[in-house]
Amino acid sequence: MGEVKKHETPLLDQLKSGPWPSFVDDIYNYAEKHKKQSGFDVLGQMELSYKEKETHWKHGGIVGVFGYGGGVIGRYSDQQDKFPSIWAFHTIRVNQPAAKWYHTSALRKLCDLWDHRGSGLVNFHGSTGDIILLGTVTEQLEYVFYDLTHQLKMDLGGSGSNLRTPECCMGMSRCEWACIDTQDIVYELTMQFQDELHRPAFPYKFKIKVSGCPNDCVAAIARADFSIIGIWRDDIKIDQEAVRAYVAGELKPNAGAHSDRDWGPFDIKKEVIDLCPTKCMYWDEREKKLYINNKECNRCMHCINVMPEALRPGDDRGAVILMGAKAPILEGAQLSTVIVPFIKIEPPYDNLKNLIYKVWDYWMENGKNRERVGEIIQRIGLNRFIVDVLGLKPIPQHVREPRSNPYIFWKEEEVEGGWTRDVAEFRKRHPA
Amino acid sequence: MSERPEKPDPIYTQPYDPTLAEKLYNPQKPMENRITDIGPPHYWQFLPPVIQRNYGKWKSHEIIQPGVLKYKAESGEVVYVVRCGTPRLETTDYIREICEIADKYCDGYVRWTTRNNIEFHVTDEEKLRALLEDLKSRKHPGGSYKFPIGGTGASVTNIVHTQGWIHCHTPAIDASGVVKSIMDELFEYFGSHKLPAQVRISLACCLNMCGAVHCSDIAVVGIHRKPPLVEDERLEKVCEIPLVIAACPLGAIKPATVEIGGEKRKTVRVNEDRCMFCGNCYTMCPAMPIADGQGDGLAIVVGGKVSNRITPPKFSKVVIPYIPNEPPRWPTAVKWIKKILETYSQYANKYERVGDWIERIGWERFFELTEIPFTWHLIDDYRLAYNTYRTSVHFKFTSHVEVMTDYEY
Amino acid sequence: MPTVEYKGKVFEVDEDGFLLGGLDAWCKEWVEYVKEQEGIQELTEEHWKVINVLQDYFRKNGVAPMVRILSKVTGYPLKKIYELFPSGPGKGACKMAGLPKPTGCV
Repeated sequence: MGEVKKHETPLLDQLKSGPWPSFVDDIYNYAEKHKKQSGFDVLGQMELSYKEKETHWKHGGIVGVFGYGGGVIGRYSDQQDKFPSIWAFHTIRVNQPAAKWYHTSALRKLCDLWDHRGSGLVNFHGSTGDIILLGTVTEQLEYVFYDLTHQLKMDLGGSGSNLRTPECCMGMSRCEWACIDTQDIVYELTMQFQDELHRPAFPYKFKIKVSGCPNDCVAAIARADFSIIGIWRDDIKIDQEAVRAYVAGELKPNAGAHSDRDWGPFDIKKEVIDLCPTKCMYWDEREKKLYINNKECNRCMHCINVMPEALRPGDDRGAVILMGAKAPILEGAQLSTVIVPFIKIEPPYDNLKNLIYKVWDYWMENGKNRERVGEIIQRIGLNRFIVDVLGLKPIPQHVREPRSNPYIFWKEEEVEGGWTRDVAEFRKRHPA
Repeated sequence: MSERPEKPDPIYTQPYDPTLAEKLYNPQKPMENRITDIGPPHYWQFLPPVIQRNYGKWKSHEIIQPGVLKYKAESGEVVYVVRCGTPRLETTDYIREICEIADKYCDGYVRWTTRNNIEFHVTDEEKLRALLEDLKSRKHPGGSYKFPIGGTGASVTNIVHTQGWIHCHTPAIDASGVVKSIMDELFEYFGSHKLPAQVRISLACCLNMCGAVHCSDIAVVGIHRKPPLVEDERLEKVCEIPLVIAACPLGAIKPATVEIGGEKRKTVRVNEDRCMFCGNCYTMCPAMPIADGQGDGLAIVVGGKVSNRITPPKFSKVVIPYIPNEPPRWPTAVKWIKKILETYSQYANKYERVGDWIERIGWERFFELTEIPFTWHLIDDYRLAYNTYRTSVHFKFTSHVEVMTDYEY
Repeated sequence: MPTVEYKGKVFEVDEDGFLLGGLDAWCKEWVEYVKEQEGIQELTEEHWKVINVLQDYFRKNGVAPMVRILSKVTGYPLKKIYELFPSGPGKGACKMAGLPKPTGCV
């Protein structure tokens, strides 16, 4: 470690003050302590961006490790003379353990690796869920990969046109509402689909996210091409004693989520019954008893969220499968749309895997370059996707409302007599 | 079910060997000694014993104070969780400090949430109190907290964000600096439960939106406002022209040929009147740079959500089409976000998310209350725009309405 | 831009080592050079089949084929392509064939 060169960063320095943790302070102290030129250089380049209001990273970059087509994002500075130590500053995506639990022994070893072979900068975590190791040079990539696999039993995550690293909420590890074992599902699917994750062969990216209940803490419905959301089919379990305790003000509504403001005493009618989207609940003031017409419940979770001690999801559990969410590029943002209203989820999850393979087969055969699954569904029509591609039965649960136009693409075989007609015969009946 | 390793793999207690990889990797025979497709470490080994024992058998939870949750298992066991914000962009020393805390109080176990918060787990109240005191005392030299406690219940929890100028090649704005500026200003809402419901704030530094920005209560999105440049000399060498043409959602890019130094070169031309500045062409072609210090900035979108609670998930809507980049602290953007948040806090009902509140009072009322100017940019003219037009006489007379008496022709 | 000298030839390349001159600058020596970089022991007919398919497709369509089309036309499953080109179809085969660097969202 020779002399390090620091850069003036008056603009960035203004981000050291204020109560929220300062990344600038953190990076400076790190660079100082470890005498890391890359830490000073990356802040120097960022200061330039703060001055000019433009990024100084070059377009693209394709680097990686042998045998894989993804997992590393190439990045090069366009200010290599000024900031030579970050001429290359590649990102490595490391597949996180499901629900992001760690033991410090693994984290410390990962830190040692990254001090030695990289900038020491990380993201915990990237938007898709991977551990992000931020910034190393091309020559180090194979060594980082060998260290990860041999010394840490860790592997790379997805990037490019492949399966992106699947992600889940904390599920059964701590949440009483988890209807499915999100962590095990994500682990199983990730292991099953290693080839698809590491060797891009899809038209574009494909994301799988698993949430344990309709609260959807991992944003599966907004961010995954294949969204798995735990639900139940039977009755919400009621502990009437606890309901009465909420009504009596002995328990804090919504687990205490509103504790710093005086919203008045808890009013079960106003706060639960009237806010129920299907109006399927009834509080009998005389009997002091809560009734739920479970047949009409759409499992929005509100009543359960408000009275967690009293209400719980039922026991007949599984998942709803929705598909097709994506960010706005190109045709506009999409949320995932219901495809399978209820699927039983049992290890080894063969039904789930087969459904995913079925979608991939069709998409890989018919998808255009950079076409997401949600876009191909739009292109061919949800009805064809459900019926012709997946071979499922169309049901009202697939739509919010039926179409308002009668422009239906009838199939010839649906029409009596077919489409072949004789114009001469027609004119016999209707002279021109 | 996959096999569950009960304890962290012993490999993690062996010290890191900085020389091992050089011994194993031979550039002449790159496939030698290569381990591939092992996937992530099994999650079970990283679960604290109390979590392993009660996995799938939790009974209920309670937020005993902002940032501190108490989980009760059917077995009667209890676990306390302390949630702390992090900047997401951090160093290995910061991670080591987390490890130090986790070793001291949590037997070495620690978890991150989807929204970049850390969670420390303890099983007794004495340890909880010591942990809280410890976390509060840790500060960076500049005075910022290293581990602010909060992010639970009706709060502004940590911002989900992207890379920005620290690492991204297509951003219109920075990410970490904008987030720091917003969270500094909204800090009191992170560590308290005084909002009507939880408020999810997100930031994406360009329209690729790596993050659930399109379904957030309040979000910042980096945008461009100048059409791409076209580098004729370079384009044919570095771009696949048909892909660039196909990348434009509005068909505004056409193939062209130019002569440079007597040589015919293939390139493209952009119909600038049809450009909506999405930047997708630059994603596909390095010879079409779109970023511009003067043109770039951010838009504010509000009212989206992901949860199915009460109302279905919904998209965020644009309420401020453009605010210039104002590093290092983006005061205009921060001011408006705070204004939106506090207006919501003042007027919304308990449990009402930002989008649900706005739908109840009407967007015209939202613009009146927040004093955000309504301009032509906010009326949709992209795909499915018609769905956003008002096709009823259900509206409110806010300050926007001017009575039409005369109309000149 | 960096240049690479190999067996008397000089190639202009980008940071990722992709050939900047396009197919006009491509030649046997370039293939030899990339072969060394990729740690490929010996170039076989199978390698050449992949290179030829890539170049033909690019000449005809102006773009590199999607991975599944490359698999279909060559008849090689993706696994086989990775065996031939350890860096994969984009980073390995396209580079050797002198095609532009693939772009798109990471």
